[in-house]
Amino acid sequence: MDDQNQSQPQIEITIDAPNDTEQPHREPLIIIRRSSSLILTKFHGGHFRISLSLCSQALLWKTLGDPIDDAHAFRRVLSILPSNAFLFLWSLAFFTLVSQSTLYILRCFFRFEMVKNEFFHHVGVNYLFAPWISWLLLLQSSRLIAPTTIYYQVFWCASVLPIVVLDVKIYGQWFTKGPWLLSTMANPASQLSVIGNFVGAWAAAQMGWRECALFLFSLGMTHYLVLFVTLYQRLSGSSSLPVMLRPVFFLFIATPSIASLAWESIAGNFDVSSKMLFFLSLFLFMSLVCRPALFKRSMRKFNVAWWAYPFPLTVLALAATKYAQEVRGARAHALMLLLSAVSVLASLALIIVTVITSNNIFSQSPKSTLLKIPNPPA
Amino acid sequence: MENGTHLGSAWQDSPEVPSLIKHISSNDVAGFDDMTSLTKDQCQTSESESHSPSNDGDETEPIYHRQRVHSVSISMPQSPVAVHLQNTRRVLFSSDTIFEDGIPDASVVSGAACGEPPKHHSQPIRTAAAYNEAIGGGQFSYHQSIRRLKDKRYDSFKTWSGRLERQITLLRGKSPPESKTEDEKVPNREVEKNLPVHRYFDALEGPELDTLKASEEMVLPDDKTWPFLLRYPISSFGICLGVSSQSIMWKALATSAPAKFLHISLRVNLVLWCISIALIATVASIYLLKMVIYFEAVRREYYHPIRINFFFAPWISLLFLALGLPPSVANNLPPALWYVLMTPIFCLELKIYGQWMSGGQRRLSKVANPSNHLSVVGNFVGALLGASMGLKEGPIFFFSVGLAHYMVLFVTLYQRLPTNETLPKELHPVFFLFVAAPSVASMAWAKIQGTFDYGSRIAYFIALFLYFSLAVRLNFFRGFKFSLAWWAYTFPMTGAAIATIRYSNEVRNVITQAMSVILSAAATLTVTGLLITTILHAFVLRDLFPNDMAIAVSDQKPIPQKKWFHLRHGSSDSKDIEQYLKFAGSDGKDLEASLKHQNY
Repeated sequence: MDDQNQSQPQIEITIDAPNDTEQPHREPLIIIRRSSSLILTKFHGGHFRISLSLCSQALLWKTLGDPIDDAHAFRRVLSILPSNAFLFLWSLAFFTLVSQSTLYILRCFFRFEMVKNEFFHHVGVNYLFAPWISWLLLLQSSRLIAPTTIYYQVFWCASVLPIVVLDVKIYGQWFTKGPWLLSTMANPASQLSVIGNFVGAWAAAQMGWRECALFLFSLGMTHYLVLFVTLYQRLSGSSSLPVMLRPVFFLFIATPSIASLAWESIAGNFDVSSKMLFFLSLFLFMSLVCRPALFKRSMRKFNVAWWAYPFPLTVLALAATKYAQEVRGARAHALMLLLSAVSVLASLALIIVTVITSNNIFSQSPKSTLLKIPNPPA
Repeated sequence: MENGTHLGSAWQDSPEVPSLIKHISSNDVAGFDDMTSLTKDQCQTSESESHSPSNDGDETEPIYHRQRVHSVSISMPQSPVAVHLQNTRRVLFSSDTIFEDGIPDASVVSGAACGEPPKHHSQPIRTAAAYNEAIGGGQFSYHQSIRRLKDKRYDSFKTWSGRLERQITLLRGKSPPESKTEDEKVPNREVEKNLPVHRYFDALEGPELDTLKASEEMVLPDDKTWPFLLRYPISSFGICLGVSSQSIMWKALATSAPAKFLHISLRVNLVLWCISIALIATVASIYLLKMVIYFEAVRREYYHPIRINFFFAPWISLLFLALGLPPSVANNLPPALWYVLMTPIFCLELKIYGQWMSGGQRRLSKVANPSNHLSVVGNFVGALLGASMGLKEGPIFFFSVGLAHYMVLFVTLYQRLPTNETLPKELHPVFFLFVAAPSVASMAWAKIQGTFDYGSRIAYFIALFLYFSLAVRLNFFRGFKFSLAWWAYTFPMTGAAIATIRYSNEVRNVITQAMSVILSAAATLTVTGLLITTILHAFVLRDLFPNDMAIAVSDQKPIPQKKWFHLRHGSSDSKDIEQYLKFAGSDGKDLEASLKHQNY
């Protein structure tokens, strides 16, 4: 949480522990209240990376586990994976997303100021898309709700509506309004808004709503073009993203992959455009993997930004799966297996690391709590 | 007597100075060398603030305490007799020197914090006059070394400067010369890792960033002609590009149906192809030699924001060779060859596009220039070759990567951002590179899809439009100094001609045929003209390979010389020194900032 806001002048507020003059039998209540207020304060949009990663993992497992006719030998290998594992993963993702959403709703009620500050922060605003993306991914990965049912459609509308509203607000700001112009605000996390559009298009195409899908896809594609060029130009140099948030660079990989998947469901098959987007994503992946120095400083201490790694890897693996299905070569399937393995390992590693350090995330002694509230841009 | 211009002015004023100097001069050369060897043992991160006077009365002098050498030493500003271009002999004053009053503190600024990567200090050689003067002064007794001074000046660029020669002399049975002073053992580890890109921008000017600004200084002497290998730029591979693309064009003219009325035989293609092979072999071997002998020069070219793009040129020429293969030599090439040819391009791309995306000082908005097209065109040429070989996925891969990055580059160049320092203000032949990418992309897409469909046509028409918009401004392409890089700018014209021929295959009528003839003629004429100019410069004017100033940029802004002469007068001393220190301090910050971004 601290890392997200480091690039702006900060007000540091130290909360001192109040003297405990209450009666002993009230202590548990006080502790609960104190720790819950702590949780609400420390929780922020960036934590949704966790649910994003878990939901996309669930989708990957579902895609890999789905039986397809005329599967390649490598693909059949995956059928030995137990289906219970998928169920467990899906439940974990569901539980995480529900709890995080609840926490965030509570935060909106009790800490609205902080939510507002997040909205005005150039990195934080993009993570407002993350919950909706996670819900859409979870929806797609559920085996219970088929895309043709009414529940799916209702759920889709409920998730996509906030995305569109946020789009209108944020994209409009990009080329009209004051300090929120794209050239000053652009940073790799801005790709989350584009990803939101593509995921919505993907889910819509699976429902059969082709026009909606095309609408969202073209919206996403246009802004992706603009954003891609702007990000590559690096007009503001390296100052747009604090060092701790370097893992967010992996979002460069995620966007073309999701676009390729969305186009594949719109067009019906993995045609040349999808292939081109997939290859672009693959190239960016190799490019980032060859630059470990870029991430060195952010890897010294665990922070929630590390969860930015699994989601793009998983989406790339998903795209590789569809690619292998289309091309049917041994090399393509080997690539698919490799990328899936990488994404699974990454998610697993992060779950373990998070569990190990979880006592540090949410329980710190109140005396040492430092809240860094960013100033909204003037 | 020390020349006051070489040492600090404060010394002129201080009554202690003569005694110090006497003290110093009483140290023999060996003692001096001991100092240097001592300082060498410590972490030598001294910046070439050798320009700096080490001591002055200014209390506000920023002091970076590194290590105190408890012995007398002199802070040596640049000495023209500096045989050791590589190290600034940063010799420290310790606090227990003779200076008591007047000059209280004698610890010296010796560079930034320890632990920074050692920087390369090239001591620029001052004018010959000062050089001779100092030699005549006989203050430094590098007797043997001075004789070899002329060779030493290029040592900083040699790969194994001195050591290799010594080994060879040893191998030949001769005893190595005695008193090999420290300066000859060039510590290669001291050679800089990264010349920050802003140094190239600050020191060079011109559309190809190859002329030194008047205020800048060079690491290598500017009054002599350098060794040939040092003058041989990477842009010579442009000749290979120009000639090999011509061979492709003549092959297309001879084999395509709409051009059959010209009755061009395949002999032309064969001849040009053989010439290209010879050229590539020659240029490549010379450059390989340069890489082996003068690796530092190659590295500096690699860090030059424009020359880096020419590192793609050899591989693109090889791709052109494969594309222009005469049918009489071979009809089919093995697909493995394609992978082999594309690997170096792929690796270079990973590096450069990664820098664009994440680089602090080498980000695209800062370094974008038309030569960057060379780094993008390689993708399309590779896709074209792969598709004509029958491969499917690989060509699409490179096409998509090239397309994405071409878009970024195109937008950036069209924007002509004010932060962009490399774009030439006036029209220059380099702008013809704009035509290259769309024309090759259209051909590649046509080969991938099988027909010259809408995507190819769109790309082709863009290329045609750009070509015409440059052609009508031909007047403005005058008045530029000829350079070998111009050969690289001819291949877009050839590429446009080839694309027109392919287009006329698809859409056959008089206009397209006429256009193919006209464009091919224009390309051929340009190449011929360029050939004549090259021969002229090579044999008549003999300046085909001038001193390559782009690689000789020093890594520090030079201190304006005037200050030294005025520092004789005491009153203006402190002001000048303050001014200097502010300058030096900001330089340090710049260097630190650029060093911080080094890892990007």
